[in-house]
Amino acid sequence: MLDSAMAALASLADPSLLIMLLIGTVAGLIMGLIPGLGGTGAVAILLPITFGMEPPQALALLIGALAVVHTSDTVSAVLLGAPGSASASVTMLDGYSMAKKGQAARALTLAFLSSMAGGIIGAIGLTLAIPLARPLVLSFASPELFMLTVLGVALAAVLSRGNIIKGVSAGLLGLILGMVGTSPTTAEERFTFGSLFLGDGLSLVAVALGIFGLAEIASRASQRRGQKETITLGGGWGQGIREWLTHWTQVIRGALIGIWAGVLPGVGATAGTWLAYGQAVATAKDKRQFGKGDPRGIVGPESANNSVEAGDLIPTLLFGIPGGVPSAMLLGMLLTYGIQPGPSIITEHLDLMYLIVWSFAIASILGALFCFLSVKQLAKLTKVPFAVLAAGLVAVMLLGSFQEGGQLGDLWIMIILGIFGWLLKSTGFPRAPFLIGFVLAIPLERYYFLTDSLYEGFDWMARPGVLVFLAILILPMIWAFMKFIRARRKTNLDDGHRDEQPEDDEAPLKNSTWSLVASGIFALAFAAALISSASFSPEARLVPQLVSIGGLVFSGILLFIEIRTRLRAKAGRAGWTLDAGFALKTFVWMTGFLALTAVFGYLIAVTIFIPAFLLVVARARLKVAIIYTGVLYIVLLALPSLLPIDLPQGWLNTLV
Amino acid sequence: MTVLVAYAPAAEGREALTEGIKEAHLRKADLLIVNIGRGHHDLEAQEVQELEGQLTAAGLALTIESSVLADPGDAVIQIAQERNVDMIVIGLRHRSMVGKLILGSTVQRILLDATCPVLAVRADKL
Repeated sequence: MLDSAMAALASLADPSLLIMLLIGTVAGLIMGLIPGLGGTGAVAILLPITFGMEPPQALALLIGALAVVHTSDTVSAVLLGAPGSASASVTMLDGYSMAKKGQAARALTLAFLSSMAGGIIGAIGLTLAIPLARPLVLSFASPELFMLTVLGVALAAVLSRGNIIKGVSAGLLGLILGMVGTSPTTAEERFTFGSLFLGDGLSLVAVALGIFGLAEIASRASQRRGQKETITLGGGWGQGIREWLTHWTQVIRGALIGIWAGVLPGVGATAGTWLAYGQAVATAKDKRQFGKGDPRGIVGPESANNSVEAGDLIPTLLFGIPGGVPSAMLLGMLLTYGIQPGPSIITEHLDLMYLIVWSFAIASILGALFCFLSVKQLAKLTKVPFAVLAAGLVAVMLLGSFQEGGQLGDLWIMIILGIFGWLLKSTGFPRAPFLIGFVLAIPLERYYFLTDSLYEGFDWMARPGVLVFLAILILPMIWAFMKFIRARRKTNLDDGHRDEQPEDDEAPLKNSTWSLVASGIFALAFAAALISSASFSPEARLVPQLVSIGGLVFSGILLFIEIRTRLRAKAGRAGWTLDAGFALKTFVWMTGFLALTAVFGYLIAVTIFIPAFLLVVARARLKVAIIYTGVLYIVLLALPSLLPIDLPQGWLNTLV
Repeated sequence: MTVLVAYAPAAEGREALTEGIKEAHLRKADLLIVNIGRGHHDLEAQEVQELEGQLTAAGLALTIESSVLADPGDAVIQIAQERNVDMIVIGLRHRSMVGKLILGSTVQRILLDATCPVLAVRADKL
């Protein structure tokens, strides 16, 4: 084992790997600064670039980015009080207060050092998990692997923040969407409506970028104004280092909480950081300074949000169930390379496992180093209004999702899913179970049929591993049900809720006509899936039918609750809010861009879309728009010769 | 002198408030109310006004405060430490051992973490 670890380290001396790691780290740092992207956005945008690479290079790039996204997202949280990702909003509590006192440097030092330590501890956790889980993983057969995939979707649905029924519905719809394409058992086409390009299934990048990326852009594009306040870093570098050293126990505690939050599917960086913050407050005797600039309020959460990403990788690589959305995409990437996470990665690709560990640790250190060196420049970047960034992001995301299949159809699906993702986000549906379900749909079905063909009837259910997983599956549900009952009876007043994050306005359209529409879409989709699966052969229709029946039940409950609240609310909240209008307008812009691409080709579409979006939506100055478009155009022109990237050709190009 | 009442819109919170008002009058102390209910259920405006009138008549002040901390237990302790209060009043009811183990208990944490005397009142009396 030590041999493969050292061999992996030696392989990192390979310049091509090292360069990829560096590029990944820098890209991750920049994407951490952009609000709303986070680890999900970073992996989704970088994933298309890796399509032409060897697995080690691709992993070095992606892991490099993933490891440092949460290092740089602190910068804007501390300096501007505007977090770069949801998980950095915890750091804002104490970090921004410190910055207001003129001690931004102290807060940033604490944050960068803790992020680094969290990343390293996370990597160590991942290393230790390999030998610990190895005998367990190797004892797994198809029944256990089937249960694991079920568990992956179910836990993500139950543990995600918000309503469990919403989580389960989202997970089941993700499963249905993942089954679009060729059935793994009978090789017949399902849910393709005769379309040829749907036969390969939906592109993972298009789904992820739509549900998360475009949805995030649409809900934030209304932020035209950048921060006008002047940013001062102030002093306190030395003080920060000293305080970090005195609070080393908090660093380790935060990192361990982060790893645990990462291991659980559906509990991501956001919940992990709030847990770490709660823990820091709970263990502090003097709680007076929390929220007003307590170093312990920065150290623990910052350490946690980096180790979450490492913790996510543990179930992803060892059991093949993604611990979070970014790792769900990594899983999808590994599968396209023919690397099956779970038992086979431990036996055949141990070197890749250690490469991931080393990349994670090295990137964490590099990330913190870069942040220290370039904090002044990073601070300036955070002042760019989001609407200006959005123009370029839309162009990059559309280009990215084109790479997997090279078909414009993927881009249309991405925009449709973007609208759907925005609807989910604003009506309080968790999106993580949706994507995890999407990724796990095919493995789930494959393992089920393997199990079914190897065992007589339900004999496989009696295997001890399966029973343990069943227990793990049922316990959280009993727990959630118990909490629900206690909340109904109002006997939960004294129950601890330290781990809960404060109520936020993440879902502004909850309990409105919008959420009613969302539930309606769910019910309709499941009904349509049930009806169209009736025409499949018995083997191909079993799983889709089960999933859509389950989905119908859950979305039916949801629809019932929504209608009841609609009827009860007399005045009702305004159906059409300003933000909703703006988000939908942004989607119209994206559709226009795609239509232009379809007709004139990508390059011409960019030269029309970018300046128009900048001038009309972002209200940027003409000079900015011209320079922006010019630079982007040149970069895009040069890109295909630097990287294995194709630019979409339009209808006009086919004529010439 | 200040007495802190951890208020929530439930029997426990009511009990704590009644006892806290008594205590404030007795100790000639100002009253500080911290709302700890889920979902920000605050006291009714009318009730606050009545209470304020009652206290000002006795020459005492009423403050209502909240904390950035999400956990009610931590919030109560933080405000108590910040304001340097002389006593925390909380309401409680019976909790089973298993329930406390699995779900935790805010009251227990306030009792164990508080740096000032805590007056605990039973809401489910005999």
